[in-house]
Amino acid sequence: MALITVRFYSLWRSYLGTDSTTLQADDIQDALAQLEEKFGRRLRESLETAGVHLDGRIEDYSLILLNGITLRNLESNNLKEGDVLHIFPPAIGG
Amino acid sequence: METNRADKDIRRYIAKSAESYVAPDGKTYLVISLKTAASISKSRGVPVKEVETTALQQGIIPCRYLRNIGTIGVEGQIKLLQSTVGVVGAGGLGSTVIELLARQGIGHLIIIDDDRFTEQNLNRQIMSTEGNLGEYKVMVAAKRVTEINSATSVTTSRERLTGDNAQSLLSGAHVAVDGLDNLSSRLVVEQACRQLAIPYVYASIAGFSGQLMTIFPEDVGLSSLYGSSSRTLPEQGMETKIGNPPATVAMIAALQVQEVVKIITGVGTPVRNQIILVDARECAIDRIQLGS
Repeated sequence: MALITVRFYSLWRSYLGTDSTTLQADDIQDALAQLEEKFGRRLRESLETAGVHLDGRIEDYSLILLNGITLRNLESNNLKEGDVLHIFPPAIGG
Repeated sequence: METNRADKDIRRYIAKSAESYVAPDGKTYLVISLKTAASISKSRGVPVKEVETTALQQGIIPCRYLRNIGTIGVEGQIKLLQSTVGVVGAGGLGSTVIELLARQGIGHLIIIDDDRFTEQNLNRQIMSTEGNLGEYKVMVAAKRVTEINSATSVTTSRERLTGDNAQSLLSGAHVAVDGLDNLSSRLVVEQACRQLAIPYVYASIAGFSGQLMTIFPEDVGLSSLYGSSSRTLPEQGMETKIGNPPATVAMIAALQVQEVVKIITGVGTPVRNQIILVDARECAIDRIQLGS
């Protein structure tokens, strides 16, 4: 079990009304599950109020980095004390 | 020998035509006007860019760049005039980038886009007008650049950038700038820039938010955000739900141009191995250090 920090950026911070939280988690899956439980509904409701409907869980429509590395490139799911998860929405338009 | 004589000739003409100008801070500059630069260009048969560069090398400022000099210096302006920038996509981000690069005094622009203007572009694509719907974006952009700055030459490519043609289309560019609207094309540009050993200024937007990163060939780049496998790439971002408003496009395009200026002039620090996240909804800018 590691104490980690989760930082919300850009529109997620704006819609959640908070910039960070801390979690005690066993591994990344555990951290994401806790994140969903704590913030998933609030984020979707906030977005719905703004006219945006999203299905799924936070990780389905977010870019998530662990200490600056995308979860897709991680070699291990383990977490260590002091790790930081960065979460923000993907922006692909131009 | 001939060239040296011609150079001296142009220098003499420029020096003879220079006038004094007192700037708002009281400093006096020697300057040449647009009309003078055009006249020397025509009479000596050399491009305006060469006249302006030669003037700057003598410490004589073309009036049009007077408000650039305090920020980047005479040497910086010379470097910009001697540079080529590739802009991939002449739509939202791209058209604002092109407009600002021409005003900044980039010597040559390579503009790549296979698309024509449509009504949906009018909200944010600065070169689209009600009168030019249906016209090719690169043709409109090239005309606009010529109207803004006769020293900036343009090469247009009215074709879609692909893995097969990317290197060839961007050949000669010192920097490539992202004016795209999809991830797969961005990865193609990133790869081409790595092969050409030039920096790539990535950016994208969605609603009130934008992202920006300058990627040098040795930097981590887009895989730090989207992973190393193309199988997991998202097709679309939040922009499909929250749109591409004009002010966000202009804001992020302006930051891209600042990156280009920093890269070319050496003034300031480009955003490398970091992602900049801009949220205009809360007027917040964050940066995240990226790992490999």
